[in-house]
Amino acid sequence: MIRVSHLHKSFRVHRREAGWLEAVRHLWRRDYRVIEAVKDVSFTIEKGEIVGFLGPNGAGKTTTMKMLAGLLHPTSGEITVGGFVPFEQKPEFKKMMSLVMGQKSQLIWDIPPMETFLVNKAIYDIDDRSFRRTLEELTELLDLAPLLDKPTRSLSLGQRMRCELAAALLHRPHVLFLDEPTIGLDVHTQENVRRFIVDYNREHETTILLTSHYMGDVAALCDRVMIINYGRLIYDGELSVLTEKLAPYKRLEVRFSRLPNVDWSEYGEVAEIEEGTIVLRVARETAAETAARLLERFDVRDINIEDPPLEEVIARAFWEEHV
Amino acid sequence: MIRKYIALLRMKYIEMLAYRLATFVWMTGAITQPLITMFVWMNIHPEESESFLFYFMAVIFVERMTSAWDVWELDREIREGTFSNLLLRPVHPIHWAIAENIVYKWLFAVILAPVWLVGAVFWPPLRPHMTAGQAVLFLAAVVLGAALRFLLSYSCGLLAFWVTKVAAVYGVIDVISLFLSGRIAPLEMLPPALREWSEWLPFRYMISFPIEIATGAADGGELARGFAVAVGWMAVFVAGVQWLWKAGMRKNQAVGG
Repeated sequence: MIRVSHLHKSFRVHRREAGWLEAVRHLWRRDYRVIEAVKDVSFTIEKGEIVGFLGPNGAGKTTTMKMLAGLLHPTSGEITVGGFVPFEQKPEFKKMMSLVMGQKSQLIWDIPPMETFLVNKAIYDIDDRSFRRTLEELTELLDLAPLLDKPTRSLSLGQRMRCELAAALLHRPHVLFLDEPTIGLDVHTQENVRRFIVDYNREHETTILLTSHYMGDVAALCDRVMIINYGRLIYDGELSVLTEKLAPYKRLEVRFSRLPNVDWSEYGEVAEIEEGTIVLRVARETAAETAARLLERFDVRDINIEDPPLEEVIARAFWEEHV
Repeated sequence: MIRKYIALLRMKYIEMLAYRLATFVWMTGAITQPLITMFVWMNIHPEESESFLFYFMAVIFVERMTSAWDVWELDREIREGTFSNLLLRPVHPIHWAIAENIVYKWLFAVILAPVWLVGAVFWPPLRPHMTAGQAVLFLAAVVLGAALRFLLSYSCGLLAFWVTKVAAVYGVIDVISLFLSGRIAPLEMLPPALREWSEWLPFRYMISFPIEIATGAADGGELARGFAVAVGWMAVFVAGVQWLWKAGMRKNQAVGG
């Protein structure tokens, strides 16, 4: 469904030091530098896949997504989405995809969401029956009924996000780009949005590319992740493989009556230490044995062995050149 | 396309009603400048008060019917990244702008035409002396003027793909247009050289030309030449918008997000 090969995008941006003298100098002399936002990125996403697209801020996720949605013109490389070249901006292409940006509203701000839906109905050529049916379905799934006639600007972030999703799905796109769809939402709403995305994908076989800083989103939605850093794709594969590769250790959280003053490196790498509690990173195969040793030697009140959190795995991936 | 336009017009109409106060201020604020200018001219040439009265009533009407604010909208939308919302949809963003223009101008016409009519009942100098043919040509020239101003404003707005705060550029053009379109004084009062220039530049056809038709100042050959020049500029602006659009799309940084 999505094919990207050797994609590059560079921007020419002004460079300016801080300070008012510099600002004056900048009036007649401008220094430019070229920022390579995306470097030689290639991947393929098949129909119906949900892929998590991860990377630290400024890594090139959103830039890539904007190129996939046809908003940005690639510097070089090739993209096809459902057989279309996005930057040609053909109406048929726009009718088969949607881009939802958590930080940017696509609803018309000062009038109720229903008005945006009606405009979309006309400009996406949705016939009356499909519109009614889809809207009913989305209203139920996203609990939109009480929101449809309130001006968009007066909706809370979570309410607005649900309407954004509905507006993006009315024309039943085959490809959905979700750029941080759960940003700023409370835990309960995040959960709802995630459940909705999973159900929607299962029911309609929609191809979904998702960026998020919430690992909960990634864990709940994606089997496959792509990690981009400094514009380069450094990992593309299963999430479970990534965890094993990057975190060949377990977390041992040990609570003592009083924290002993010993050299912990004998037991593992210290991840966190605070009053009475220590978190150690211990190789997977020696975790049980280390726990036993600790129990034997110290006055342990509680001990907990767990997999490292996904945040930590991903953070590690961001530091690696290649995974 | 008609179905799409109906939906866009409906939405813009609802949006306009959501901004009642702003709409009212745009309407009344724009009347202030021609009114003050009129009083100044009436003070300088009291003997021609009646013709100034008609001229500036016509300026108020034509100026509102041809006004264009798209440069500010595009400037903001492109700079803040909200333009992407329009680009993602399968209708060219210019149609949103055209729909908005139609809705607002329809409102301006609905308010201003009765005002002019009631005024004409009480003040004879406000009564137009037009034949049916002149009236049709007047309306055609107003529509052409609106298209010219819209296209100029839209093409300046598209420069926002290259320059931030592009409205400043348009500000300069607007000052030139203030004089050469007839908003400050009838073009016949300009120095001959400037007047000559004004006939070949597009500004006259944005405001003065329709008024010249209404007052009977332009007729016969002058009329035909006026329409020809206006249509010529229209072609230039359409080509300009198309070119800027294509080049701008390659340049677009789709900021934000």
